Amino acid sequence: MYAQFFGGYLLSKEAVTPEQLTSAISKLSDTHIKLGTLAMHKGYMTASEVDEVCFLQTREDKRFGEIAIERCYLFEDQLEDLLVSQNPDYLILGQTLVDMGALTNAELESLMYQYQTDNELDDYATAMVDNNTTSHLVENFFEMYHIPANNYTLAYINLLFNNLIRFVGEDFTPLEPMKISEYEVNYCVAQRLSGVAKFTTALDMEPDVAVSFASRYAKMDFDAFDEYVKASLEDFLNLHNGLFSVNMSNNSSVELNLDPPMQEEGPVMQLNETGFVIPVIYPFGSIFLIFEF
Amino acid sequence: MSEKITILVGDDSILARKQLKDILIGIQDNLEFVEASNGQEAVDRFKEVHPDIVFLDIVMPVKDGIAATGEIVASDSKAKIIIVSSVGTQTQLKAAIEAGAKDFIQKPIRAEQVIAIFNTYIGG
Repeated sequence: MYAQFFGGYLLSKEAVTPEQLTSAISKLSDTHIKLGTLAMHKGYMTASEVDEVCFLQTREDKRFGEIAIERCYLFEDQLEDLLVSQNPDYLILGQTLVDMGALTNAELESLMYQYQTDNELDDYATAMVDNNTTSHLVENFFEMYHIPANNYTLAYINLLFNNLIRFVGEDFTPLEPMKISEYEVNYCVAQRLSGVAKFTTALDMEPDVAVSFASRYAKMDFDAFDEYVKASLEDFLNLHNGLFSVNMSNNSSVELNLDPPMQEEGPVMQLNETGFVIPVIYPFGSIFLIFEF
Repeated sequence: MSEKITILVGDDSILARKQLKDILIGIQDNLEFVEASNGQEAVDRFKEVHPDIVFLDIVMPVKDGIAATGEIVASDSKAKIIIVSSVGTQTQLKAAIEAGAKDFIQKPIRAEQVIAIFNTYIGG
């Protein structure tokens, strides 16, 4: 999850424009080499073992290497070898921006140093497998924009970004959260969670963006804004909230209840004082994550 | 021609119902599907058609899948109900089993798991 936050970091430093960043991110999938692919290439894991670990990643909030070691598919020293072979994706993003002429190598060098220092990413190998580091990135993301966030909020949003990567695609960048009291709705689905923690989250986007989002999520080629597209947005939100409730139950013995996801009628959604919106840029358009904790 | 097998799919998501049907439809050619978009509708449809197996989501409007499971099993103790949900907490699993569900599939669903469960309870 480094490229996503490094992208936001570059925007906050006004080092690149949103258009340059979106263009660079859309090229990442062509250049990113995955750990599983490297493991197969080196003969450390079979294709079926890689498939199994990839599947388990959709159920467990863990990194590829963690699961592979737990299942005895990789030894620690093999993983370390693979991690040395794998470049952090923010390095690839930075290199892409240099290739596009958006940054010079000197600017990139300086920005990467600042980014590593600000986020305490002083050890690439450790950072690549440590889930706490991605939590730390999310924490810094909120601190950078002066948005207060408790542990539940951070855990929730950390998982949400990970689920976007897993189920929709990693080629996104979260932008500065907006503290607003009213949000003008496009097509919006919302779900309320209750129990020890009570909050509402919503997912909003333009209909044509929803078609692309749903096509990726459902792995189907939708070409119109129909009931399946609408159901895909609800499914994603419900799946994410379900997985979050499993995490909370397993890790913190906190039980949450989920209401069914509902379409937010609009045209304006009223948010309380805790409400905020995170715009997220994908190459196919912007989606908006809305929170009321 | 082999005997018809009726499958009730209860989920408020039309996408989730389609995905489950798309997986099951490839197993045998004698399957008939009945759909419900909430828990109460699932109970009503069960009593009408007496399906051979039921796949039920938990989080649904009107009546959730656990409550619907309890009502279905109360009307037919041999009902084969499989819960399909993203909310796979121990608490929900326990509630589903206590209500009379036979098994649990964690979303996102995987075709092999759905087929294996179908074969376990209906026979391959």
